[in-house]
Amino acid sequence: MGRKLKDSVFILGVGCTRFGNLLETPELKGLSLHEMAAQAAQEAMADAKVDPQEIDAVFVGNVTYPTSLLPATYSQIADWLGIQLKAGVHFDAACSTTNVGITMAAMGIASGVYDKVLVVGLESTLSQPKTLSPYERTTIPTEEMWLWTDHCVGQSYSVPQGYDIFPTYNAFNAMGYCRKYGLSLDELEHGLFEVCRTRRLHGSMNPKAIRQETLEQEAKRMGFDDPWKFWTSRFNPHVAWPSRLNSVVTPADGASAIVVGRREGAASSQPVELQGFGISVMDLPWYDEDPTVMPIDQESFKKAYEMADIKAKDIDYLHTHDCSHIMGICVAELSGYLPQGQGLKYAEEGRLRFDGDRPMSTHGGRHAFGHAWAASAGSDTYEAVKQIRGQADARQIKPFPKTAVIHTHGYAMISTVLVLNGGN
Amino acid sequence: MAESIIKQYYDALGQGKLLGKKCKKCGAYTFPPTTACKKCGSSEQEWVELSGKGKLLFLSHGMAPPPNPRFAEIAPYAYGHICLDEGVFVQAIITGVSIDPDTLKSYYERVPVDVVPDIQEIKGLNVLAFKVA
Ligand SMILES: [Zn+2]
Repeated sequence: MGRKLKDSVFILGVGCTRFGNLLETPELKGLSLHEMAAQAAQEAMADAKVDPQEIDAVFVGNVTYPTSLLPATYSQIADWLGIQLKAGVHFDAACSTTNVGITMAAMGIASGVYDKVLVVGLESTLSQPKTLSPYERTTIPTEEMWLWTDHCVGQSYSVPQGYDIFPTYNAFNAMGYCRKYGLSLDELEHGLFEVCRTRRLHGSMNPKAIRQETLEQEAKRMGFDDPWKFWTSRFNPHVAWPSRLNSVVTPADGASAIVVGRREGAASSQPVELQGFGISVMDLPWYDEDPTVMPIDQESFKKAYEMADIKAKDIDYLHTHDCSHIMGICVAELSGYLPQGQGLKYAEEGRLRFDGDRPMSTHGGRHAFGHAWAASAGSDTYEAVKQIRGQADARQIKPFPKTAVIHTHGYAMISTVLVLNGGN
Repeated sequence: MAESIIKQYYDALGQGKLLGKKCKKCGAYTFPPTTACKKCGSSEQEWVELSGKGKLLFLSHGMAPPPNPRFAEIAPYAYGHICLDEGVFVQAIITGVSIDPDTLKSYYERVPVDVVPDIQEIKGLNVLAFKVA
């Protein structure tokens, strides 16, 4: 028997900023992290029709301290939201942060301690405070961002001895996938091209995505009429052979927020139930001889399906952590949503699109929507809630999904699965 | 003064040894060593020297410039997924191989291949790397 929440818990409201660059993107440019977080939190509270004073606790997550200089977000963010004197905590589950926050909120509510909890995730991966300025920021080199992000990874042995995310979380998995299912490297390349095309299509339909240019448009801009020729050109280099730049994460700045509570007395018109969840953690190495399967994912999906009492066939919409497109496909197959070894073929057939029969990551995923570490899991939940409610505009899945499953890999590594259920 | 397990591991690398722990309860290896058995959680472990021999299963490369400035001079470097003879999986720098796509592809077609330790001192730290045997 799986563990159960002792009371039903619902997502009452969701908020998310555009993901972009605090130094460039019009919707974010000039904002401080406090203001960016407030944008997401105030959207979530308005969506839930909840007054700030009704919030019992504020859980705020942030991962990369050097870009935020905010180790104790609870009091500062509470202050900026008008939620003083309530409970609060600063927490971190890397790229699973916001969704782990939802599970902590759910346990606080199901135990009877809280009625309404506000979960906030905020992150900048592209800039840091300029000297000690309260509002000026300066850009950071990519390798510096990875150095700080890799603070999440084994500090005793892995990082000091040359660990690198791209072979470990892209290349080995891609080669393992080909070997396991008898795919040629050319078939892999075509499949990953199609996954990228799908994600970028979704990003182009989402005003909150960091990349709103389709792959075809980018190819044209770079002087290629044929997007495949662009894909295999030096403009799409190998980050770790055979994985290319357009198969991986696009780092971003952003914030997301979720109001979690009970259905009784909720003013929110369309609460979405948190039917179940599963969490599992593990340090490197994340897999043995088969890099397509991480034991943490087997555990987290099993726990979540048991708590929610669902099977893979019940899932109408899936997001898997797609910081690495091939791992996103591996996890989707492990979840049972896609058949084993068929994920890339499904992408080529358009079946993973918002209008396909196995829709995934309709916000654009980590590559097109962008990845703002602590805020990203909340952006996945935001999209799932919007899809369930039928509020996803041009990229709306039809019929509206009822059961959505959101999987995230928090560096390094916390596998988190949420099962959401709602709609009519 | 307590002697750090981590320091003992790196010091042993300097003498060409791969130090790990073996569980007195279940017999599983924990490598590199920690304060508890990776498999059963028991803290009843003894030090053990691993053979260092293993099979390279997958070979790719890291980024340049690298996240960790320790490796600035050797990046981008080849990086591999290895199974040691003791059944322990390790990921490490692979020395002496080029990272052009043709070479990496030839390894993809050839693996598993035998590897042995090729411990490097990089900016004052002994680092466990491997080379093709
Ligand atoms: Zn043991």
